[in-house]
Amino acid sequence: MMEREIISYTLEQLKAKGMDASCSLNQSTKYEMNVETGKITLIRTVFNNGLSLYAIKDNKSGSYSVNKLDRETIDQAIATVVEIAESSEPDPAHAIAEYQPSEVFCAGPRKPDEDLMYTRLEGFLEQVKSRYPKIIVENAYLDFTHQIRFIANTNGTDFTTEKGIYRFTSMFSAHDGDLSSSFNYTGFAAQELDRELLDYGSLDTLLAQSCEQITTQTLSGKFVGDVIITPDCLSDFLSYVFGITIYDGALISGTSVFKDKLGQQVADPRLVIHSRPVSPEVADGYFVTGDGYKAENCTIIDHGVLKTFLLTLYGANKTGLQRAVNNGGCYVIEPGEKSLDEIISQVDRGIIVARYSGGYPSQNGDFSGVAKNSYYIENGKIQYPISETMVSGNLISMLKNIVDISKERVDFGAGIYPWITFSGVTISGK
Amino acid sequence: MQRIDLEKYTPLLAGYTELRAQENHVVSIGFLKGSNVRNVQSTTSGICARVYQRGSWGFASSPDFTDESVRQVIKAASANAAFLDGKQNKGKPDLPAKPLRAEHDFSTNKPRLTQKQLIEFTKQVDQYIAEKYPDLASRYVNLNCLDMEKQLLTSDGSHAYSFNPRALISITMTMDKDGNPVELFDVFGSRGQFEDVFNDPADLYKDIDLLYEQLRHKVEGVYAEPGVKDCILDADLGGILAHEAIGHTTEADLVLGGSVAARFMDKQVASPLISLVDFAHHALGELCPMPIFVDDEGTEAEDAVIIDQGILKTYLHSKESALHYGVKPTGNARAWSFSDEPLIRMRNTAILPGKDSLEDMIASIDDGYYLIRPNNGQADTTSEFMFGVVLGYEIKNGKLGRAIFDTTISGVAFDVLQTVTMVSNDMKWSVAGMCGKKQPMPVGMGGPAIKCKVNIGGR
Repeated sequence: MMEREIISYTLEQLKAKGMDASCSLNQSTKYEMNVETGKITLIRTVFNNGLSLYAIKDNKSGSYSVNKLDRETIDQAIATVVEIAESSEPDPAHAIAEYQPSEVFCAGPRKPDEDLMYTRLEGFLEQVKSRYPKIIVENAYLDFTHQIRFIANTNGTDFTTEKGIYRFTSMFSAHDGDLSSSFNYTGFAAQELDRELLDYGSLDTLLAQSCEQITTQTLSGKFVGDVIITPDCLSDFLSYVFGITIYDGALISGTSVFKDKLGQQVADPRLVIHSRPVSPEVADGYFVTGDGYKAENCTIIDHGVLKTFLLTLYGANKTGLQRAVNNGGCYVIEPGEKSLDEIISQVDRGIIVARYSGGYPSQNGDFSGVAKNSYYIENGKIQYPISETMVSGNLISMLKNIVDISKERVDFGAGIYPWITFSGVTISGK
Repeated sequence: MQRIDLEKYTPLLAGYTELRAQENHVVSIGFLKGSNVRNVQSTTSGICARVYQRGSWGFASSPDFTDESVRQVIKAASANAAFLDGKQNKGKPDLPAKPLRAEHDFSTNKPRLTQKQLIEFTKQVDQYIAEKYPDLASRYVNLNCLDMEKQLLTSDGSHAYSFNPRALISITMTMDKDGNPVELFDVFGSRGQFEDVFNDPADLYKDIDLLYEQLRHKVEGVYAEPGVKDCILDADLGGILAHEAIGHTTEADLVLGGSVAARFMDKQVASPLISLVDFAHHALGELCPMPIFVDDEGTEAEDAVIIDQGILKTYLHSKESALHYGVKPTGNARAWSFSDEPLIRMRNTAILPGKDSLEDMIASIDDGYYLIRPNNGQADTTSEFMFGVVLGYEIKNGKLGRAIFDTTISGVAFDVLQTVTMVSNDMKWSVAGMCGKKQPMPVGMGGPAIKCKVNIGGR
């Protein structure tokens, strides 16, 4: 059977068993080049399929996914999802997306330019070697993934999405004799490789910083100061904050400290955070939500006011709150008015945190962890790279304690972030 | 997974080639505050080939087990290796070979439970918590079963089959304190399919009661005082230290990438009280949480004694890294999925028990912390580590004091291990470990409690 026939057949079979159901079929090819210790060591071609079924009957639901598309496997998958769904405990919050007009979405190329990938990757290694001879590229992965997805349900929704995207990540450290920096890593996504890899995201900046971080100093004692969170690190902090406040788990369990804060001021009025999965400014977006709705852009925090939760259809039904128009991610933070240099010049005492290595924050927002690849600032000037320094504070309080947002931003392809200074963070050395 | 006669494809293998068929099957059931929010199964399977050509590797995989797809992946992997060899021309010699045949199947012999029975089991655990502890603000009970089944043929003559399952139930409880949620979790289970691991929900009730009691302590807890303190790291934290901060730095690919362990071979890197081993399948006469007898390159897995009485003795190797260092492969090359290539991974990493009792260790500290449960961990190639700690107690004048709120500990592992002055005489494994290094990988971690100095975060 062809893809559309598989979808129709599966939904018909499930409907005949009295099920409301959704079905997603995808076919993907990934072409990936791998670097280990500064050399290209491996090329991979990964073909894969996916068939995901979600079925509901009498308020009981279940999900099953399999990666084969032959008739026998499909029939087994249908029988399995029926068994799983019928086994569950009933919950009237289970539902599938209502009817939406059919649509086809496309982004990015269909095939990789393999020679260009090799040229770019080799060029990256050569540039690193010449510009940053103290750097060892511990690993790097450049891949192109093409995926075509068919998403349909028994309410008549029928979407097709096709996407091709290049993604790159690298981990590296700098070495000088017996001394070495901490490792650091970054990456980006792009629909074309129209420039050198070093020109994307924050790669060049972080490689230069690693060379500076071969020799570090430790801070002594503790103080409460400002921290400037870099764009790489800010994406982690944002995931932590939203994870404990505005997604299904935190709201269904009632543990979110934002559960009663919709429409209220939760952050500094200068903070504006969008989620833009279908914006041309985000290369690595998505078109359809996990529960089968056409994705839309939204603003999560608008001048400090919480505008939406990120609830799925199930989460919305469970809490009586509104379903979000997307699944989050693809965050775009509005820039501020000052340059990064000005922002640094206004810090009396604090640190720039370029990577956070810490425990998962508590549900109340408390966090503590190690400031990696970071710098000490005193009297408005960067003093030296630091090591063995810990930061602790509360993520919820930090949102209100914003000192400045930079006008410069970094585009990672899956999000665009500035540098943000927060006050009132405990910084402790040895 | 269907058993495939991989040997019939031997004529298709030119040069060094691995041909692996694999299926990962996952069952996941979750109850959040009594609602059955998760009820999922997934099956991911397929076949892959990896080809070595004079130092360059090619890989390809397909979800289909047909003769045609096997031919296709071998052809695509060979083409990838040839493309890279043409560009790189590394001219490296053949990989070491020591063929073997092996079969290790840890699937249950008992009748399999249905999804309905698994849901009922999970629901009973949830109901026990709901009825006994109505003052909880939230609770989450999650059952997670993973079966990894592999068939391997290598062109140098190895042929292996393995079925490695594990079954876990994690329980998270949340209590409200002055409008702020305070949370604690624990994970129960072990190697084996559900039927071999869990018998009756009531078997968990004692552990659940202890978890609740620990949460009550934590609700009344205090922030840790930041700074370098005398601490006792209990088995779970000792295990994560062994894995994250030492084990990773001694993976040969990371050593080549600049890990600090590159300059420590045969040097004193820890207190003589510390011996640390990456066990292949048995430790101290017992089967390990994640027993590996043959790795995904067809190498017989052997114990790797990383630190022997404080001295760094070995790295963890694949065939290629062993060739580079001129040593025997240790059987550490493992792949997560049919679509993944083998990487150097740990198996079951633990510090060996010492001679001290935990009571004596606590009594020896005037002002410090007894740290029991981590929630995550990360380490640098410099061996600087951080672990999140969700359960711990103050130690004041040799006695346990108040519980502490979530915190983080950090240090440079090779420095911290030099400060170890006591090691407990018991041994406990954590079976829920999932390591991340390009691919996820289930691992065992464990050991005794150790007394050392670490930097603790707090306020």
